[in-house]
Amino acid sequence: MKIKIRNITKRFGYVLANNDIDIEISSKKIHALLGENGAGKSTLVKIISGHYNPDSGEIFINDKKLELGSTSSSLKNGIGILSQDPLDFQNLSIKESFIAGSKKFGENFNEKKIEIEINKAFKKYEIELSLNQKIRSLSIGERQQIELIRLLFENSKIIILDEPTNGFSLNQRDLVFKMLKTLSSEGYIVILVSHKLDEVFELCQEATILKSGKKIKTIPIPYDKNKIIDLMFQGEQRKVIQKKATKKNTSGKININLSKWGFSSSRGYITPLTVYNEGSIIGVVGLQGSGADLFIRDIFDKKIDVQRFIKITAPVRGNMVKENLAPIPKDDNYYTPSDRLERGLFGELTINEHVALASKGSKLISWKSINNSSNNLIEEYEIKGNPNILANQLSGGNQQKLQLALIPKSPGLLLLEQPTRGLDVKSTGSVWEKIIERSKSDISVIFSTTDIDEVWEYSDYIICFSGENITKISSKGSMKKDDIKFLISGLESRK
Amino acid sequence: MINFNIKNLITSTTQIVLTAIGASLIIILLGASPIEVMTSIFDGAFGRPEKIVKTMLIFLPISLASLALIITFSGGLWNIGIEGQIVLGAIGASWVAKSFLGESVISPYIQLLVGVSMGSAWGLLCGLLKVKFNVHEIFGGLGLYFVGSGTIIYLILGPWSKKGVASTSGTDIFPQASWFPTLTSLNIPALPILIIGIIIISIILFLSFSKLGLKLKATGINPGSTNKFQFSSSGYIYLAFMIGGAIAGLAGVFQASVFYHKLVPSISGGYGFLAILVVLASGKRVIPTLLLTLFFSAMIAGGSQLQLRLNLHSSLISIILSSIVFFWLVVNSTPIKKNITNLLERGRNASL
Repeated sequence: MKIKIRNITKRFGYVLANNDIDIEISSKKIHALLGENGAGKSTLVKIISGHYNPDSGEIFINDKKLELGSTSSSLKNGIGILSQDPLDFQNLSIKESFIAGSKKFGENFNEKKIEIEINKAFKKYEIELSLNQKIRSLSIGERQQIELIRLLFENSKIIILDEPTNGFSLNQRDLVFKMLKTLSSEGYIVILVSHKLDEVFELCQEATILKSGKKIKTIPIPYDKNKIIDLMFQGEQRKVIQKKATKKNTSGKININLSKWGFSSSRGYITPLTVYNEGSIIGVVGLQGSGADLFIRDIFDKKIDVQRFIKITAPVRGNMVKENLAPIPKDDNYYTPSDRLERGLFGELTINEHVALASKGSKLISWKSINNSSNNLIEEYEIKGNPNILANQLSGGNQQKLQLALIPKSPGLLLLEQPTRGLDVKSTGSVWEKIIERSKSDISVIFSTTDIDEVWEYSDYIICFSGENITKISSKGSMKKDDIKFLISGLESRK
Repeated sequence: MINFNIKNLITSTTQIVLTAIGASLIIILLGASPIEVMTSIFDGAFGRPEKIVKTMLIFLPISLASLALIITFSGGLWNIGIEGQIVLGAIGASWVAKSFLGESVISPYIQLLVGVSMGSAWGLLCGLLKVKFNVHEIFGGLGLYFVGSGTIIYLILGPWSKKGVASTSGTDIFPQASWFPTLTSLNIPALPILIIGIIIISIILFLSFSKLGLKLKATGINPGSTNKFQFSSSGYIYLAFMIGGAIAGLAGVFQASVFYHKLVPSISGGYGFLAILVVLASGKRVIPTLLLTLFFSAMIAGGSQLQLRLNLHSSLISIILSSIVFFWLVVNSTPIKKNITNLLERGRNASL
């Protein structure tokens, strides 16, 4: 079997999600679509599955042209997708979910026969589950296994896995991978979409690397890991470089106490107590879905203690100066989430109403004075909008600036979860201008990002995440930019 | 800005006309003349001073229930349990009226205190179920309503039954001292009207000018973001249920001690459910809600005239009422409203 993808191009507004992509994939070789977030992998999968209609290009299955933009045509031609979250019915038993979800058995089904067929498939792929178990009681890995069997029952011949291992235990991953290898050897086409290199190396024999919507190269696997990483991350400067302010308050020190934190430190790099200069910018970097965002939230939720060294003068025997650790009060933790409209702002409230909510003091609202402060903030933060515009009418960049504008003026600990997510180059630059402006007077700024250029550009200290593990904590001065991509992609360093 | 408002006004007028046409068609189908029916209803509601007072007595509980719902809707809550909160208010009032306080002049004021507290507590219970036990407020509210209405039946047939007979027609009439004082021979319920006036002004101030009200509104829009603004959404869910329950409880007090002067099984009169329709149909805004409530009260008060004047069964009024609501919801739905706006726009452009 063979699937040929020819000159696929798909544009969303100004974004070229797929740019003239050409790939040929045959059975017997498990193929990986490899690339960073935003490389165009998911768009390509959605074109193959018929959810998106490409602007141009063709797809052939065994030299037969596939009707594009139609999910039913893709299904008929044997394309089956295993998505990140299993699409199943939690309340049904395994058997019921097969009967409900499969056209194979038709209206007049014979339950005994179905049981026999499912059990046969389970035995073949070494799945040890009882058919009466509820889907709800299964682990994600087991649910994905069942989904795979269901795809086979639907006569899928081309199985595409869209980052399926999120939330898998190692054991579950082994089970699913074993099944995929068997399928591949039986002549099924198996395509794995992933940004996890270790996974690709374990399962695949071939990989196509995508970057910014373009195909970079198709390579055989195994392949030199360093070269793959260079291909995946090959640097075009995407962010506007902002001249960084030099003058800031670095007299004090802060301390991030990780000892009570749930995540492991399997790589052994981290020490539980970490001290930074006050006023510095700490970048937490990891791929999408890593623990970096959670790290920021956990500080805000006080699951991680951030403390300040406070100098106190003891009146005993002259003036002895002592340093004491004091936690930063919750009120001084200023947090901006990355999903701005879900957890940061109120979509159907105006800028005025947000400013009123964030304002301190009096119980009654004077809309006139609120309107004045809104106008000042709009000017100061260069927000494109008027005080009476709803938050959901603002662009992403302006929503982000509004989040920053609503932060109280008094110094605090700024916790910014992916502050420039989804922003274009220009908005990114102006958001950072505001953050840097603030950081001069704040206790500290801790931000998360998936972008190596961004973390390198703006941070004084860098914390690297691979999956849920911290792989490195270091000041920027004592690490190399090139190391970051290894530290976040789950591979050990170049050595 | 002004231009924009005129456009809105024209759209609303068109919607009202369309609703009236729809309702007229239903009346014609029922074999009557829309104009006769409407004049008869209007006359029945406002024709004489005592009729106006009667309409007012219907307006009181419905408007209170509507105001209670505006508060809970602001917090993003479906307070279906409002009927239960009305019932509890009525039970509270009856409790006082039946007690040793019943003969005292302070009885009405104690009734207010007890009824309002009990309605508020019933609302808060619904909020607690939601926040602490994750029971959706529709489910919890309905459950609490059934408990409340069961309790009424028990009280009427049991401890508070009429002397000698237990009848579902209600308890004995309360002692005169427990009735709310009225003005003139028309029995104008001055105190309730005054209280409603204060509540209306307070709610408008609360929702438009207080930070508490704004936080409540924010909770209703997106509870997920409240944490970031350093307040807890659950606190505002409790607050909404407590205020809503208190106002609904007040409606119950008025039903028992201003309208019936006794406790009857159907004390809430379905006004809570009617109020949900009223509030939704008027876009959860205070003034339109009150206007619509007045209209509905007039329809209900005047509806009883239908039988006498036009020999139509008085229950037809509920068919007419529901058809009005139905047509209004249709013309107020997004696709239809958009079409109306577009048509008007085109008409204006053509005439220019």
